[in-house]
Amino acid sequence: MFSDINWTVFFMQLFFGLALGSIFVLLASGLSIIYGLLDVVNFAHGTFAMLGAYAVFVAVSLSGSFAVGIASAVVIVALLGVAIELFLLKPLYGKDPLLPLLLTFGLSIAVPDLVKIVFGLTGKPVDYPAALGGATIVGPVILSNYRLFIIVFTLAILISLWLFLKKSDLGMIIRAATRDSLMVQILGTNTSGIWTIGFAIGTGLAALAGAIAVPMLAATPDMGVEMTMVAFVVTVVGGLGSLGGAIVGGLLIGVIVAFTSLIAGEYSSVAMYFCMAVILLIRPRGLFGESGRE
Amino acid sequence: MEHPIENREAILKEVAPKPQSSVVWGAALVLAALPFVVSVPLATEILIWGLFGLGFNLLLGYTGVLSFGHAAYFGLGAYAAGLAMRYWNVGIGAAIAAAVAASVLLACFIGALAIRRRGVYFAMISLAFGQMLYFLALSPLKHITRGEDGLTHIPLVDVFSVALHKPRPIYYFIYAVTMIMLYVTWRILQSPFGRLLRAFRENEERAKACGFNTTLVKFLTLVLSALYGGLAGALNTLYLNYVPLATLFWLTSGTIVMMTILGGKGTFLGPLIGAAVFLFLQNTISLFTPRWELFVGSIFVIIILVFPGGIMGTLQVFLLDRKMARLRKQAGADPQGG
Repeated sequence: MFSDINWTVFFMQLFFGLALGSIFVLLASGLSIIYGLLDVVNFAHGTFAMLGAYAVFVAVSLSGSFAVGIASAVVIVALLGVAIELFLLKPLYGKDPLLPLLLTFGLSIAVPDLVKIVFGLTGKPVDYPAALGGATIVGPVILSNYRLFIIVFTLAILISLWLFLKKSDLGMIIRAATRDSLMVQILGTNTSGIWTIGFAIGTGLAALAGAIAVPMLAATPDMGVEMTMVAFVVTVVGGLGSLGGAIVGGLLIGVIVAFTSLIAGEYSSVAMYFCMAVILLIRPRGLFGESGRE
Repeated sequence: MEHPIENREAILKEVAPKPQSSVVWGAALVLAALPFVVSVPLATEILIWGLFGLGFNLLLGYTGVLSFGHAAYFGLGAYAAGLAMRYWNVGIGAAIAAAVAASVLLACFIGALAIRRRGVYFAMISLAFGQMLYFLALSPLKHITRGEDGLTHIPLVDVFSVALHKPRPIYYFIYAVTMIMLYVTWRILQSPFGRLLRAFRENEERAKACGFNTTLVKFLTLVLSALYGGLAGALNTLYLNYVPLATLFWLTSGTIVMMTILGGKGTFLGPLIGAAVFLFLQNTISLFTPRWELFVGSIFVIIILVFPGGIMGTLQVFLLDRKMARLRKQAGADPQGG
């Protein structure tokens, strides 16, 4: 294919891409759950991921444990999501459908500035957890343990999410409310509580993405916008409101970004948008989008 | 205005009076005096962003399509004008024409790809395309656009041998262009096409059922609003004599959304008022703290929650409510009129 790229480099880059894509998958599945349930495009999605990254930074510097950091990031940001849904989004339901998008956009402008005031302008690094340092060597291919962890961890999260949605009562109600929230309400379930839970799960997933990305990136106030953009592109590629689309789209975009930075570095930030444009040309509703929801 | 009401038609006429073109002349007079009230740079920015907002409002306010990527048209217009002047040494007219042409072509491309998509989908797609242009200018096209530094060394120009790099001449040049476009916007909104736009916003399904091609109308409005964006971008280049990379940044798209909502989407003067209030707030807050985004973002959130109609929309509803109350009272006193 390319004479200067041998198979070792290929596999390493594929592995890089899958790890990066796993983070994208977490981001986009959160966005997809929120959209599916609430019909809200969460413009502040990356902002929640950024807050998750900062929560890890604070929790790790207080407790010294990365596991505690991830757990507290998810809990804190999910609770914040609950508060935002209850006090800011709830009053907007039933009005102009663009208002929730605009409201979360306002948050994505204001919150990073608040973070700049509290934590300063410079990024906050978080060390790789000691147990996940080093690398695993498979033949000629060197795989960093932390990236392996990201892939395995994302897989575990997705399986538990899937089990939760398929097997638990609450998951069943969430799936039903995604289909037809009015009918669920008529059957006697309090959908407004379900929406709050859905928003909390979505923001929690965003926080998780920010949290596991932070040892590689460091937490910066402006990282949120990039993450929102990634979540949007993955969602457009995968299909809005589809979990399967979020997974395939996330991994695809991750791998594409990884290979472009290897082959043509200066195009690495542009590649995912090109990919989106191509998908829109070939299959406008996204890879897994339902035809009604475009 | 206490005159008796003859019949139902007269009531309707008074509740929703036919808009008067005096709005245009009034705005023109106020804006002509603006540089004597506020600083000339602030006044110039109000004109540029107001013009950008006029086009954006056609799309968001009158057609109900939210684009989150209008920085693409503004920025492309700014770069097209700057590049044409810098590399080909063209005159001011050709630079503006190049800017408008580039933006319109881009809108045709993005519109063809995405205008059929549902509202939220279009918002996401337009944002992503806007970012694509930003990153293209930042890195792969760095040898032309000068990347992060922005495009400098744009030659100075003059119109009718008046130098356009002095604050007042450039203000009145931009003023002239903006007033022409304000009048054009007025004529568009009074035309059958303008009525069609509002019909779409109120009920797209119904407009479609009436036999109108909704996709085509949305596409045309997108292209039209891109024309305003490209023009505003070109004027921005003439004003700054420089093209900052930030013209393509997503925050530019966000700013025009915030200005339009703040002023009142779907109201004729909303974008101009929104641009003026936004820029005035931004300038004032920047005097005290570099963290103006925190304040502007929070104000925007409050507006969405409490006054989604913006300044002009809320004012209109307030005036209409008062008028309705008065008319109801009159109708009560004179049952024949009801």
